[in-house]
Amino acid sequence: MNSNVSDRYDVIIFGGGIAGMQSALDLADQDYKVAIIEKDASIGGKMIRLDKVFPTLDCASCITTPKMASVAHHRNISIFTLCELQELDRDGINFRAKVLKRPRYVDQEACIGCRQCEYACPVMAPDNDQRGLSARKAIYIPFSNAIPQIALLDVESCVLCGKCEKTCPTNAVNYFEKEEILELEARACILASGYQLLEDFPTRVYGEPAENPNVIDALQLERILAPTGPYMEMLRPGDGKEPESVAFIQCAGSRDQTNGVPYCSRVCCMYAIKNSLLIQQELPETKITIFYIDMRAFGKNYEQFFQNAKKKGIRFVKARPIIHSNAQDGSVVLRYEDQEGNGNNLFEEFDMVVMSLAILPAWNPQKLTGVSTANDNFVRIPYPKMAPTLTERDGIFVAGIASGPKDIVDTIVEAGSAAMETSNYLKSLDSAKAAA
Amino acid sequence: MEEMEMEKNSTQGAKVGVYVCHCGGNISNTVDVEKVVEAASKMQGVTVAKRNMFMCSDPGQDLIINDLKEGRIDRVVVAACAPSLHELTFRSAILRTGMNPYLYVHANIREQVSFVHEGDEATKKAIAIVAAAVGKVKEVAPLETTSVTVHGHATVVGAGVAGLKSALDMAKTGLRVAIVEKSPFLGGQTALIDRLYPYGDKAGEIITNLTKEVTAHPNIEVHTCAEVVKQEGYIGNFKLTIAKRPPSAEKDLSNIDKMAAARAGSNEFIPFVGVFNSSPPEAKEEFEIETGAIVIATGFSAYVPKDGEYGYNEFPEVITLRDLIKELSENRGTGEFLTVNGRTIKSMAMIHCVGSRQIEGIHEPDEKGFLNPNCSRTCCTGLLHSALEILDRHPGTAIFDVYRDIRAYGRSHEELYAEASGKGVRFVRFNVENQPVVKQNNDGYALSVFARDNLLQNEELEIPADLVVLAAGMHPGEIEPLIDLLKIHCGADGFLLEVHPKLRPVEVFTAGIYLAGSCQAPMDVTEATAAASAAASKASILLSRGEVNLEPFVSTVNKEECARCLTCVRACPFDVPIIEEDGAYINPAACYGCGACVSACPGGAISLAQYDNKEISAQVKGAIDSGMVSAGQ
Repeated sequence: MNSNVSDRYDVIIFGGGIAGMQSALDLADQDYKVAIIEKDASIGGKMIRLDKVFPTLDCASCITTPKMASVAHHRNISIFTLCELQELDRDGINFRAKVLKRPRYVDQEACIGCRQCEYACPVMAPDNDQRGLSARKAIYIPFSNAIPQIALLDVESCVLCGKCEKTCPTNAVNYFEKEEILELEARACILASGYQLLEDFPTRVYGEPAENPNVIDALQLERILAPTGPYMEMLRPGDGKEPESVAFIQCAGSRDQTNGVPYCSRVCCMYAIKNSLLIQQELPETKITIFYIDMRAFGKNYEQFFQNAKKKGIRFVKARPIIHSNAQDGSVVLRYEDQEGNGNNLFEEFDMVVMSLAILPAWNPQKLTGVSTANDNFVRIPYPKMAPTLTERDGIFVAGIASGPKDIVDTIVEAGSAAMETSNYLKSLDSAKAAA
Repeated sequence: MEEMEMEKNSTQGAKVGVYVCHCGGNISNTVDVEKVVEAASKMQGVTVAKRNMFMCSDPGQDLIINDLKEGRIDRVVVAACAPSLHELTFRSAILRTGMNPYLYVHANIREQVSFVHEGDEATKKAIAIVAAAVGKVKEVAPLETTSVTVHGHATVVGAGVAGLKSALDMAKTGLRVAIVEKSPFLGGQTALIDRLYPYGDKAGEIITNLTKEVTAHPNIEVHTCAEVVKQEGYIGNFKLTIAKRPPSAEKDLSNIDKMAAARAGSNEFIPFVGVFNSSPPEAKEEFEIETGAIVIATGFSAYVPKDGEYGYNEFPEVITLRDLIKELSENRGTGEFLTVNGRTIKSMAMIHCVGSRQIEGIHEPDEKGFLNPNCSRTCCTGLLHSALEILDRHPGTAIFDVYRDIRAYGRSHEELYAEASGKGVRFVRFNVENQPVVKQNNDGYALSVFARDNLLQNEELEIPADLVVLAAGMHPGEIEPLIDLLKIHCGADGFLLEVHPKLRPVEVFTAGIYLAGSCQAPMDVTEATAAASAAASKASILLSRGEVNLEPFVSTVNKEECARCLTCVRACPFDVPIIEEDGAYINPAACYGCGACVSACPGGAISLAQYDNKEISAQVKGAIDSGMVSAGQ
């Protein structure tokens, strides 16, 4: 872990997901000092929580963990986890960031990640890193590949029994740790704050039938499929049964003006195909249906991936189903219009339903950074054709989903572009200074 | 006897650590990794055998680092994915302990085992591969990297938006840049568009601004009518021969005439041509550029529909989207209907996926036997954008959009789709098995498009059309000579192949060469620009350091054994060996370590670091001793 934490950097990057990490590495390799501000307890973002990724089916960890390790060991990168921006001021060319560091209740320097506290803790709480599908202790290391590999205490569920404090071999547990305000200075910023899902969509739109535990979102399915997942097997959450039929509902919230998300979320078609193939690999007899409006397999080798899935027996149905009701055995009944047939309403029962929920920005930076957002709530790009990573404010750049949904390939490329624009901006400051 | 003793000495004390990766199931779902670990722990010289869900993760790497630091091991084998993905990851982990990172052998049990075998056979093969690696790692000697200085200069091939943007980025970072463009004009294929979707930016303005900055930048030299004809050297130190020729292509000549007719000056944008930068050469000339990195930005080639494909070249009323864009730009009239070639366009059909998303058995390959499997990514939104422009200017037009899927995926694209629907564009969705047919119409319209709409129970519709617009896709660029020269590769889809779409998306397997824009895959202008900057970033990282470390896996000649027979000179695909007075010489900086000369040398005078007879024999012996392979295998 980095210990050269100083207050002055060349660049502050908000978000330690794949976009933020890639920008950080490209800049740090050019000898710029970079600080990554991450709101979670670990860097890695959404990608580290995925199973395998399209179209190569590499495990997401195989791509993410080495980048996380490179970030952690880079002498020019400092990582600040559990941190959130509070204020961003500008003094000439310098940004001054006030960052709130939430308490871990574990001394970051002292913790050796031995997990003794975790084993000793008697409290179980829902594990958000598993999208609530399993439990973790009240004091825990977020997940097996987390960086930093140190524990944090969830005060909401802690019963203050003192077991962790007594067990810790390095006396790292500190119940009295307070939140801190860190002050960081830098000459440029990159917004790489990623996305969240439109989580309330199913129950808001379909009501009670969508409360069935066998209706899950795509990120939950990623956890179920992942080798480090909650069940270690492909099971449905309601009763632990191997699903014999699975439906994917595409555009759940996206491409839907009534819902405030008129845009396409861009990645769902491909991940639904990918997850179908992964389920099929584990449960070859399971019947899989993808309900879609248009199959958007537009990237390099994506169409081939789609055609291959058709050949492998994944069923594609053009329809926009609703969650109609639940069957006695916990299965989900969908109703949809038979668009490719005679237009009748059809009812079909599935053991499990996966919602490809719309993608929303994780953070609106407008208030704190002065960078405005467009109608779609993503960061506004004044020169989308010539400089897709420039924002309206000089010295603030953007990478990844913060400026609109995009897949991992496009995100990584864009992160490289943001690093290039940022480094050239820093160079222009240097030459202006030299000229003065 | 002497040899055996040496062997014993060299292996004495070797403490090998074997680390087997589950690869998150990619390996462990097929290979019994526990068995592999168990077998490894019994192999001679192995002092540590462990497994981990993700060896490449920080905790995984820490296993190796701790064992090294605590002296339990002094050599490392990781059994995981292909070495192209993570061999470097593990070498850097070893390097962090201060140990020589080349006391390491990577065993590929993913691509070579779990992806292609099943059951016991997979586990057996994994054990054999690990045993071979253990055998080898005990024999390998520590190696040192060579550091060479690099030229602070990059060459960009192609002057479309990707090439221009990439050049500008690198120039701003302080590098000197040469742009080599085949045609007499800058701006590439973006110059052949009027307004860019989804916001309607003028392509001409974008190119004008970009070329102004490029041509004014003191670090950039622009060579038009120029091509790379020869490449020598290696990362950081390439030597390119550039040939400039007077324009001869018919299109170039007619464009130069157009430019003269428009009385356009230097650096002025000529619609549907580009920006003319400097006078073409009168005679052929050649010169050399010494350059540190090469950015390929050669773009795509626009698909030209075959004669008769949807009536193309059969009926004059069948045109491509590009033709339509040009028509709409040159004919700026308004009124109820658009007029093309004197014909009033009351009704028109737009057909998607022409030359894209091609499927074997359904589509007909081109004369080279090529089918384009990719989606061209830009045509859906491009058609919608043009449809809306027509409806704005000629609101009476009936527009039928004949599609497979509408792929309005990008930011503000879906909004165009919704707007087009709202304004009355009628969408007809066909199955790829039932392709539309274009025929003569004898009922007042020029043509009829017969299409089966799969949302209307595949009923055949006859769509009257005064104009049929084909969304002709993006095919790989025709750059075979450059591919041969630079020794780079195409994927199965014909586009240039990156090392890995996520790990190293703008790099190719030859170090020092980068990809920018649609030479890699179909992209729109925004995406090509981002890719161009990403490529510029990688090239800048390489060249701004002033020097680069080269891999030590290179061939060396034992000059005492060399007969100067020239076999190595002929065998080398990269023209590296030269014959000196006392024998052949292989420049370690230029050698790619492919081993072709080693196997060709009749005198056995050449050896390749870590692929010596001794090391290979140890590898083979390891595999055989594992008991997992029989002599026949």
